[in-house]
Amino acid sequence: MEKERKIKVLIAKPGLDGHDRGAKVLSFGLRDQGMEVIYTGRRQSVQQIVNSALQEDVDVVGLSILSGAHLTFFPKVVDLLRENGAEDMLVIGGGIIPENHIPILKEKGVTEIFGPGTMIKDIGDFIRKNVRKIA
Amino acid sequence: MDNKDKLAEIKEKKKEWEEKVLLPAAKRFGIEKKPTEFHTPLDIADFDFVRDVGFPGQYPFTTATYPVSLVPSIERGAKPGGLRRAGTYSGYGTPEDTRDYYKQMAKLSWTGGPNLALDLPTQCGYDSDNEMVEGEIGKVGVAIDTLRDFEVIFEAFTGDQDVDRIATNITINAAANILVAMYIALAEKRGIPMAKLRCTPQNDILKEFVSRGTYIFPPRPSMRMFRDSVVFFTENLPGINITSIGGYHIREGGSTREQELAFSMAIGIAYLQEGVNAGVDIDAFTPKFTFNAFGGSMQFFKEIAFQRAARRMWAKILKERFGAKKKDSMRIRCPITAHVGCSSTTKQRALNNLSRSVVGAIAGVLSGGPPYAFPPYDEPLGLGWSLEARQLAEDATRIIMYETGMCDVIDPLAGSYYVESLTNEIEDAAWKEIEKVESMGGAVTAIENGYMQREVAKSAAERQARIERREELVVGVNCFTEEYELDVTTSKIIEHPYSEEKRYDAEKQQKANLAEVKRTRNNREVTRLLGELESAAKKEDKNLMPLFIDLAREYATLQEQCDVLRGVFGEWQLDTFV
Repeated sequence: MEKERKIKVLIAKPGLDGHDRGAKVLSFGLRDQGMEVIYTGRRQSVQQIVNSALQEDVDVVGLSILSGAHLTFFPKVVDLLRENGAEDMLVIGGGIIPENHIPILKEKGVTEIFGPGTMIKDIGDFIRKNVRKIA
Repeated sequence: MDNKDKLAEIKEKKKEWEEKVLLPAAKRFGIEKKPTEFHTPLDIADFDFVRDVGFPGQYPFTTATYPVSLVPSIERGAKPGGLRRAGTYSGYGTPEDTRDYYKQMAKLSWTGGPNLALDLPTQCGYDSDNEMVEGEIGKVGVAIDTLRDFEVIFEAFTGDQDVDRIATNITINAAANILVAMYIALAEKRGIPMAKLRCTPQNDILKEFVSRGTYIFPPRPSMRMFRDSVVFFTENLPGINITSIGGYHIREGGSTREQELAFSMAIGIAYLQEGVNAGVDIDAFTPKFTFNAFGGSMQFFKEIAFQRAARRMWAKILKERFGAKKKDSMRIRCPITAHVGCSSTTKQRALNNLSRSVVGAIAGVLSGGPPYAFPPYDEPLGLGWSLEARQLAEDATRIIMYETGMCDVIDPLAGSYYVESLTNEIEDAAWKEIEKVESMGGAVTAIENGYMQREVAKSAAERQARIERREELVVGVNCFTEEYELDVTTSKIIEHPYSEEKRYDAEKQQKANLAEVKRTRNNREVTRLLGELESAAKKEDKNLMPLFIDLAREYATLQEQCDVLRGVFGEWQLDTFV
């Protein structure tokens, strides 16, 4: 019925990390590509992020973190989304994530990790390819 | 011929050269829309050496803050570890881990005080036993909950490295006064009066709202805390630097060069005004202002001009606006000058970052500072630099210092038509932006209404768009990425002294440390003092520093104190401004 619905993305910053340049730049960039983007702002708890994702019924949750706390926060977000029946939401992450942590995060349900220097166009392409089918 | 006739002659010759020589050549190379620049005396027609440049270490400080270059002599600089300082930003896990790290570094002949990196819960005023901050304890820095933690860390600093012999840096902003109070209490326990302490808390809260983000309270009560610093430190702590202002964070957050300069100067003005409003003599406290760094980029000449413009602007602000008399009030005390900035480094083919940081180091020395090849090449690869990357960065600095002769001269670009005109341009643009901020009511208002935050985010997005359109090139990121380019990787052959295993254990350990403190301290006295803090906080004119010292002595936690203040001051509303 709503064939042309825009892809809806939540960009979130879990935890206390204040480095929000990437999150904001990505929010602007995906918006420019025609997606609907909600940016949570800094210092979001896992519960707050999941609540926003569910309330807004987003297609994608993008988590940005540069403080080294990704191994704690990313899997918690994935788990809580699943507990709430939102296993079809695409969860992606970005920030300063050491190479050897990427397989661990993917194992826990984060579909892809995008590091510094990634073109937003590539992130957009990835989302369009992997997002749940929009009816 | 007088100067006017000479300029007329140059103008005429320039026109002739552009038409007959430049344009045909530019056409041949297909760059007629943007031909290579060449600069002449016309670009700085009203140049006045004494007014615009002056001598090193003298008003308006355009050339350099000090009259001589700050390069250590070969005798000092070349001894093992001569350039090394515990002053490298560091701090890991529990206070015990950090203490052991400094002890280990001391064996590598590191000297001097620590430059403490704190974990985010500490920077944001939360204790290690708070469930909300699980996963963040001891990450990006050491966890500090109470005086006990300072006592443990500083076990690595005794004897000829005791706290009255070293200078300690603490990267703390919102809770700066509380941590300085803990440092004072630590010294007191060692029988050292606070007047003998040398310490630099970052204490630059306004830029935290614009970028970086470790605020707690709203801007206005935060400025009241800053006022307390100015008043109390000036009276009691002659060896402490009141603030270490950083434009760096604003630029790394995505601002343009001109925005950074304008916003950091506007923020500086707000701090100066706060001290003046509290009745402190401008020349009594401004010499205790420092700057930790301005931002940088790969734009070599523009960054050099930026540094020159910044020094000149600050000098003018102090002299003309605040009526400062002392030379020390007018100079930007900053350990580093131009550099490329961490955001210029790339994760892709990371060894290239060494080349980038060397470019920055040369810009550093040409802009009146030491040639620091910063950051180490592995900066974008993860938290915690490898010792190899650090060695390479230090050696690059040494090579420039001791092999090239670059440090034998100060500001060799002074008088350059190009660099002088660039300096003027950057300064003019920054003044215009400052006027805009002032017309809103100054830095505090321009933060409360989100103006600075929005402008920085917009600039960051614009830069990314330019990179994606390949209007700005980054080697290995948006050009020269074809499959036949080698993906040169780094090899870490020496393990970092702070291992991953310790990192994962730190949180549990620190919670246990804090529980023990809470069990053994005089809880009745802590509660009484927290009550006193609450009533004092409600009185706007009351300086809270003496109470923070009392609370530190009794092992009150950082969060206990911040929670009382949250109750009175409120918390900064987390607007997103996108």
